[in-house]
Amino acid sequence: MNATSEIQRQDAIRVEGLRKVFSGFQALKDISFHVRGGEVIALLGPSGSGKSTLLRCINHLEEIDGGRIWVNGELIGYEEHGAVLRQMSDAAVSAQRRAIGMVFQGFNLFRHMTALQNIMSGPVYVLKAPRAAAEEKARRLLAKVGLADKADSYPAQLSGGQQQRVAIARAIAMDPKVILFDEPTSALDPELSQEVVATIKTLAEEGQTMLIATHEMAIAKGCADRVLFMVSGELVEDVPAAEFFAAPRHERSRQFLAMHG
Amino acid sequence: MSIGVIAEPVRVRIIRRRRWGAWLLGAAVLLVLAIIVVAGARARIIDPDVFFHYLTSGEVLLGARNAILVGTVSMAVAVVVGLAAALMRLSGNPILTGVAAAYVYFFRGTPMLIQILFWYNAFPTMFPRLHLALPFGGPVLVDAAMPAVVTPFIAAVAGLGLAEGAYMSEIIRGGILAVDRGQQAAARALGMTRPQMYGRVVLPQAARIIVPATGNQYIMLLKSTSLASVIGFLELLRITQGIYSANFRVVELLAVAAFWYLVMTAVVTAIQTALERWFPVR
Ligand SMILES: Nc1ncnc2c1ncn2[C@@H]1O[C@H](COP(=O)(O)OP(=O)(O)O)[C@@H](O)[C@H]1O
Ligand SMILES: [Mg+2]
Repeated sequence: MNATSEIQRQDAIRVEGLRKVFSGFQALKDISFHVRGGEVIALLGPSGSGKSTLLRCINHLEEIDGGRIWVNGELIGYEEHGAVLRQMSDAAVSAQRRAIGMVFQGFNLFRHMTALQNIMSGPVYVLKAPRAAAEEKARRLLAKVGLADKADSYPAQLSGGQQQRVAIARAIAMDPKVILFDEPTSALDPELSQEVVATIKTLAEEGQTMLIATHEMAIAKGCADRVLFMVSGELVEDVPAAEFFAAPRHERSRQFLAMHG
Repeated sequence: MSIGVIAEPVRVRIIRRRRWGAWLLGAAVLLVLAIIVVAGARARIIDPDVFFHYLTSGEVLLGARNAILVGTVSMAVAVVVGLAAALMRLSGNPILTGVAAAYVYFFRGTPMLIQILFWYNAFPTMFPRLHLALPFGGPVLVDAAMPAVVTPFIAAVAGLGLAEGAYMSEIIRGGILAVDRGQQAAARALGMTRPQMYGRVVLPQAARIIVPATGNQYIMLLKSTSLASVIGFLELLRITQGIYSANFRVVELLAVAAFWYLVMTAVVTAIQTALERWFPVR
């Protein structure tokens, strides 16, 4: 074992030279950064800058065109054989995703399942946990996100803020090492997004490692240790959050802050 | 007006608009029905004794049983083949997609009658012997003359099931495409494999769209079993035709056949309703 792999092991997420191309259009250009365990990172940038694509590459929902990604020291999506990266089987990639939670802008709760069933779905179907234990845990998580009385409600019967809190509970039911958030509050009006921000703050205080793409300054200022700022597929700033808000270096960061306050 | 005095609510009576048009139309329809029934009864179109005699005769019941058997087995084949073709079409693999698209094109694009005749008359002459063995000198599993294997029943199931499978594949594919793509992303992000994603998330939601259309297809298929009369399969219509060509009670016997098709349709409709309750709109 050499020194770099020791460093990689300590990182919750490590991205090196990541490139992603959509039919000739370069959506991610040579992205490198790392996230230590327990850190909360705000991923900022104008619309279309590649935030969603970056998150989707980290759990291999998108196939990458260059570079490497490790989560908890495990190379995502590929087996390394010397200089060759061989793509893993579907089952092996699925197994890697268990450690990576994801929360979507559109909530994406399973519409044919109740809130409780949504939260149980990962542990029961993917981890093959016993039903009774999974249900007990799901009820505990529902209480934690303040929705103990909504166990038997279907997504269509819940407000957007409630749906997103169930979606967060569904993600943490898998005990993921990291959680990726893709604009968790962008589909919510300001009042409802406060519920979700509060839930994310609680997780931050508990030391959950999170990478959060967002336009919500309450999350970036209130929870984030560091800010990654992207423009047109490039990572242009990777700085402590306080520094980003006090003295943004990049011209586009200043414009962005002027617009979003 | 002084503040603090609340006006006494005025009691009002609501008179709804009368739907005269709907009433008139309903009356007209009832009148026409009555005229038809009375005319039919006057002309003694149906002799009830003959009708009831044949309704439960052994031959007719055999034909009804055969229609249900072929229709149901064909439908089961169609659902399995259709699901496989739909998943192949959506797999993103260009070869699987192409094969599935070609299957749908040929089997939906040619008349069921031609397909039934093909399986019964042409296929056994093209492949006179059915010989199945494990590769590399393994044991022989089946070895038989093809005409002995392709009975009218087998040919009917092949013709109806494979043609219907092409329609079912499009129905199932449509149902899957109607499920929001975000559902698939969420299932994958949780660590579900593709089969788990389809089985636990996509198909249970697609079922809401697939079930009503499938009930429709099942009813059509039960009636299409009459096509199998061309290869000598003893189904309901062929049997009733055989009887009336001897005794000339055409109307009674056609009514007997129609009665049993209506019974089958009622049963399928009940099954469909139960399944729709099982997969409610959420
Ligand atoms: N599946 C795709 N096919 C083609 N282009 C895509 C696809 N997904 C994203 N893009 C493009 O990649 C760029 C980055 O998109 P995205 O990651 O969604 O940005 P953001 O989340 O920062 O708004 C955009 O220009 C977008 O049009
Ligand atoms: Mg986005």
